[in-house]
Amino acid sequence: MTFSFADLGTGALRAALPLAIWGIGAAARAAAKRDGRALASARWAALITFLLVVLAALAMVGALVTHDFSVAYVARNNALETPLFFTVVSLWAALEGSILLWTAILAGATAYVAWRGTPALPRLATTALAVLFAMVTFFLLLVTTPAADPFVRSEIVPFNGNGPNPLLQNHPLMALHPPLLYLGYVLFSVPFAYAIASLILGEGGDRWLVATRRFALVSWALLGVGIVAGSWWSYAVLGWGGYWAWDPVENAAIMPWLVATAYLHSVMVEEKRRLLRSWNLSLVIATFALTILGTFLTRSGVVNSVHAFTQSAIGPLLLGYLVAIVVLSVGLLLWRLPTLRDAGAVGAPLSREAIFLFQNVVFVAATLTVLLGTLYPLIAEALSGAQLSIGRPYFDRVEVPLALALLFLMGIGPQLPWHGASRATLERQFTAPIVAAAGGALLAVATGLGGAFAVLTYALAAFVAATVAQEFARGIRARKALHGESSGTAFANLLRRSGRRYGGYVVHLGIVLVAVAVATSQSKTIEVERTVRAGDHFEAAGYTIAFGGLRSVSEPQRDLLVADLAVTGNGADEHLRPALLFFPNATQAVGSPGIAAGLHDDVYTILVAYDTTARSWATIRVLVIPLVSWLWLGGGVVGLGAVVAAMPQPKRREVMRALAEAPATVGD
Amino acid sequence: MARWLRLSIVLGVAALVVVLMLSFRRDPHDIRTGTVNKPAAAFTADRLDGTGTLSLSDYAGKVVVLNFFASWCPPCKEENPALVRVWERYRTSDVVFIGIVYEDATDKARAYVSANGVTWPTVRDDDGRIAFAYGVFGPPETYFIGPDGVIAGRRIGAINEATLVASIDKLRAQASR
Amino acid sequence: MTRERALILVALLAIVGAVAWSAWPREVTAAERVDRITSELRCVTCQGLSVKDSPAASARQMRDLVVQRVAEGRTDDEIRGEFRASYGDWVLLSPPASSWTGLIWLVPIVALVAGLAVVLGRVRAVVPRAADPSPRELAALRERVAREEALDLPQADGAG
Repeated sequence: MTFSFADLGTGALRAALPLAIWGIGAAARAAAKRDGRALASARWAALITFLLVVLAALAMVGALVTHDFSVAYVARNNALETPLFFTVVSLWAALEGSILLWTAILAGATAYVAWRGTPALPRLATTALAVLFAMVTFFLLLVTTPAADPFVRSEIVPFNGNGPNPLLQNHPLMALHPPLLYLGYVLFSVPFAYAIASLILGEGGDRWLVATRRFALVSWALLGVGIVAGSWWSYAVLGWGGYWAWDPVENAAIMPWLVATAYLHSVMVEEKRRLLRSWNLSLVIATFALTILGTFLTRSGVVNSVHAFTQSAIGPLLLGYLVAIVVLSVGLLLWRLPTLRDAGAVGAPLSREAIFLFQNVVFVAATLTVLLGTLYPLIAEALSGAQLSIGRPYFDRVEVPLALALLFLMGIGPQLPWHGASRATLERQFTAPIVAAAGGALLAVATGLGGAFAVLTYALAAFVAATVAQEFARGIRARKALHGESSGTAFANLLRRSGRRYGGYVVHLGIVLVAVAVATSQSKTIEVERTVRAGDHFEAAGYTIAFGGLRSVSEPQRDLLVADLAVTGNGADEHLRPALLFFPNATQAVGSPGIAAGLHDDVYTILVAYDTTARSWATIRVLVIPLVSWLWLGGGVVGLGAVVAAMPQPKRREVMRALAEAPATVGD
Repeated sequence: MARWLRLSIVLGVAALVVVLMLSFRRDPHDIRTGTVNKPAAAFTADRLDGTGTLSLSDYAGKVVVLNFFASWCPPCKEENPALVRVWERYRTSDVVFIGIVYEDATDKARAYVSANGVTWPTVRDDDGRIAFAYGVFGPPETYFIGPDGVIAGRRIGAINEATLVASIDKLRAQASR
Repeated sequence: MTRERALILVALLAIVGAVAWSAWPREVTAAERVDRITSELRCVTCQGLSVKDSPAASARQMRDLVVQRVAEGRTDDEIRGEFRASYGDWVLLSPPASSWTGLIWLVPIVALVAGLAVVLGRVRAVVPRAADPSPRELAALRERVAREEALDLPQADGAG
């Protein structure tokens, strides 16, 4: 075969690299000398680089689909019998493919800034463009050298490949979770690049922040929804009935998200009150650094097995990149510190900006705890040889109180005015929410929720929900008074015209749903495990589970041993098929749960063990997990709220454009 | 924001990098936690071939090599030839090999034993208590017990001939002292 | 006492009562003890799951061992000690607070306290205004609030 996808891909990447390097110079020159021709060449370099990297990604998909096992990546992650859907999705199944995806998204963001960003803020955006080109260059270096070259050839071309990791060919969410996560990670490069550009140019103002506000919101939302999607995937695939285990890879994703949430809020303080300038720069740098650290932790395998680290050069390279970023950004920040003056002071302890500050402190404490908890075993082993584990019990015990504190702050923050509130205002505003909180607490006790933390969660959830309802009521009343609209129209207009605020409230409601889901599912899950023969049945939390027997199913890429279960009771009538999956290249079977999902309960069934000689008995574990669906729903609501908050408001575009084209002012 | 905070962040990152680089030197095959250097747990188990029981105390004073294996474990198959060779070398001396089945069905374990030429004594461990007492993480795992009854060392993962011979010889040298 | 203050007080009492009721130490059943202990032990053949959560065969056998020890009347520490003797501190999912590895428990507290100290240092009380704003101030305030409800800060937004 003369045409080879691998050659196409390699060629595209090798062509993109010099273009990206050129782009750094062109953008830098365009920014420094206000050279229009340099800017034009930088723009075209960005666009062509992006197209080339996309071409390389498509070439990889082509190699996968045509089962070209001469490419090592294809041989390791694909097999002839892998279904087409999972074949395409294996583009991001393993290291090299994921780095390629990352590079493609980063190149896309660079092209976007080159064409849409630079007209609005010429010097700032062009400098940011140079920074982005530098980042693209690093990743292109990774994919064109043995470190992470996806098109490296196999030493011996096998007849059939290994196929993807068994866990990665179980669930369609594989198509959604990594791209969402990567979009969230990579798009944060843009606010970071603008922040660095602002420091390089010594602007000292807020333009970088205002210009990238929507980018930051969109990245945050994508990262958040990606994390929830990953959680849902792990719940549906890993077969232990949980959705979050504080695994190092999970922690790697949530750390940047936590800091990004802090950033989104303190951004508002800077916009409204021109405060916290250096703090916001630090937050953006920290968020971006954490995305790189997260990738490094996940992809180098440092935390799970030190030996995996040394198998590829990518570990040290990512670590070096991370160190370079931190050192350069912190250096720039320290250098420009004198230009970053706050235009005022924070108000009283009971003012919105102070609450935002407290919230930031809690988020940063939560992130530091996750970071140190994840790295502690590694540090302890390196320093003393002691091997210890830090797992769910530690993280749960430490993070739950912090989360409750955040719920509380989430309730009072939006209700407090900027600068401070009087006692009378507070009493007026918080009476109804506190009563609602009492209702929540009593509801928790009445429904048999065990544990102080669960009861507090219900109380705080009711508190926040009541404050959100109050805010919407106030907004609707204000619009009715000012514009004479009906309640329905007023509600819709609140979302359309004051999308930032009311979209934010929708996000808060989503978080409330998640909190209630977590508290309820952790506190009231009922577990029953029985060894049964065909025809037996048993009870669990009002459901009857009847075991029909075991049967074998053969699929091209795997064999299954399925347990047929009939679940009835509480209005349910489902046929569940928990199974054990046998893949040709795996030593042990992979469990696949059978789940009957509902708005109220999930019935989660696992085939734990079976009679290997005669198949006469099976051990079935059943978990009845209440309200876990509210987790995925809550994630969806958060995403929706973010969309509402990010939507450009009608009739304001001309004003925005005029403001954007106003000359930059240093300071205020 | 304070300069000291910034500096401490940079120093923290530097410390982390140093620590991560130090951790390269560890050998994951030699995990020292758990039962190493402690007296070997006594056990009595049913023989795999059904001919009665076997107790660790039957071999007091000898060098004992415990090998945890399973039929579903590919590295066990890989290390087996080395075990066979070393067993042939030492079987007439004061060295004993004992194979212990780990999380496997008896008939499958028996098939594995006969198919792979395992001639040293093998026992069942259906409730996993022996594996637990020794701190087994998963097959294959090999423990070296000296004549004094103390676990001198263990190997996690497939073992090779050189390591087997070196460990056994070290323990035999101890015995003759 | 105003009506609002009374309501707030009653509500707060109800919340405290509910929390205290749920936190009240109850008789722990054997099954609950087993659950608690196994949730803190690490499954040795898994990626990081607890013995309680893991469906693996080795985990289920360990659970049986814990059930047996609880029935024999051993204390939590004795049972954990047995696991530690076989697998070392690695098998505990939560580092014991006593050894130097227990320092990790201090991290969140230190971080919170340090952060709060910094923030409270920067927060300054607003100079109290006159009790009632003048009608002109009030009208201006109302207008400002109404505008804020309906509008947002304009975006100098070229980058999306």
